[in-house]
Amino acid sequence: MIDATNISKVFNGRKDRKETLAISNLTMSVKRNEFVSIVGPSGCGKSTFLLMLAGLEKPTSGNLTIEGAPILGPGVQRSIVFQEYLLFPWRTVQGNIEFGPRLRKVSKDDCLADTRDFIELMGLTGFEHCYPHELSGGMQQRVAIARALANKPEVLLMDEPFGALDALTRESMQMELQKIWLQTQCTVLFVTHSISEAIFLSDRVVVMSKRPAIVKEELKIALDRPRQRDMHMTRQFREYEAYLKNIVWEEVN
Amino acid sequence: MNQIKFRKFLSPILILLIWQTIAINGIVPTWFLPVPTEVMKTLFGMIMSGEVPHHTLISLGRAFSGYLLAAVVGILLGLLIAWSTIIEDFFDPLIELIRPLSTFALIPIFFLWFGIGNTSKILIIFKSCFFPIIINTIAGIKGVDAKLIMAAQSLGANGFQLWTRVLLPSAMPMIITGLRISTAIAMMALVGVEMLSSDSGLGFLVIDAQRTFDTERVFAGIGVLSIIGFSLDKLARYIQSKALSWHSETSLGGGM
Repeated sequence: MIDATNISKVFNGRKDRKETLAISNLTMSVKRNEFVSIVGPSGCGKSTFLLMLAGLEKPTSGNLTIEGAPILGPGVQRSIVFQEYLLFPWRTVQGNIEFGPRLRKVSKDDCLADTRDFIELMGLTGFEHCYPHELSGGMQQRVAIARALANKPEVLLMDEPFGALDALTRESMQMELQKIWLQTQCTVLFVTHSISEAIFLSDRVVVMSKRPAIVKEELKIALDRPRQRDMHMTRQFREYEAYLKNIVWEEVN
Repeated sequence: MNQIKFRKFLSPILILLIWQTIAINGIVPTWFLPVPTEVMKTLFGMIMSGEVPHHTLISLGRAFSGYLLAAVVGILLGLLIAWSTIIEDFFDPLIELIRPLSTFALIPIFFLWFGIGNTSKILIIFKSCFFPIIINTIAGIKGVDAKLIMAAQSLGANGFQLWTRVLLPSAMPMIITGLRISTAIAMMALVGVEMLSSDSGLGFLVIDAQRTFDTERVFAGIGVLSIIGFSLDKLARYIQSKALSWHSETSLGGGM
């Protein structure tokens, strides 16, 4: 469904105008309905790659296509969720979630009916009229995910979405994300620092190298669905984890 | 709550009492420091005779005209400057040159060009209010988180929708702060310009009473100005808190 071929990205420094090669000849593809995680050292260009898929950054060279059509800019079939939630503070939970549909002139009543499912799915029932600053971090991220889903995207791009959450909230959000993915059957590209999070959620984990980033390793995760919390303890899970940690560790050093 | 409210009345009441005691006992002559109760009597008389309402309406009319002009031009030009670097590069030197200049330094020129009528007075108030409004508008728009814009774009917002649904609401706290600061500035400029050249308005009322050593009237006029200034700020704060009910910190900026 998504094909990235020989993607390179060069950043021009603002002060010294020095060119930095962030991504170099990166090639990878994602199948429909697949859940793929990208892990790699900090600053390796994972987030930049995700922004390119969202149409918010342009590759310096290479081909980026979705269903064979080149990605030229943002599109509603691709929604992105950021680590910083980035909710609109002047809009209520309901107002945030219906932001996308309202842009396309969907009537208020239709929005209300349409978004109800996502509000329920994300456990936000009863909070529709709250403002973002009245919610905890975990709840804010739920709103951000519901907002992304309200556009009914085919691809959900997630840039370290649970990175700012505490460990317990993070775990419960992982369970919910799996539930959402199983229900909505969209394709998910998930950038994370946490190897265990990547294994737990994904069909496939992609390891990126340090700058300039290429695909260093791809690993299929053959754990049964739906994944349970205690799977972290299984021998198979631990083997995946040890294997991936080694590869990432090589890149960090 | 009631106790806190009472405490806030304590210092003004205390000062009035001390003042009353000093003035009534003839420690200083009344033309130097009039008796507060006499000032209130004078003020009451001036209100009943229609004198205070007359000058107040004229003053408020001038202040409001200059303020409104500054608000409209300041916000619109501020948005244009934040929108286009070409427009910014054109206007920025002008803004930086004129902004630090004392409004009062421009008064002679304004009188020369626009006469000593209402036009020059309104323009002087405009000059005073314009800069806080435009600077806050520009800073408000430019300060919007680039990633918030990205989030909106990915949800499907086009260029125009980005302005109406993200940039403007995001900048609103800053824009409203600029507008609020300027209400106090408008009153200051108003009184100054009315004292320099006018035959009407509250500034004229005060300076005219001073010329005839009618200190009670001076204090009565100051009292009216103080009440107007206080009420305008309260009104501005009220509007701010209503318009920004979503904002978690509505106690923006100190009063000027």
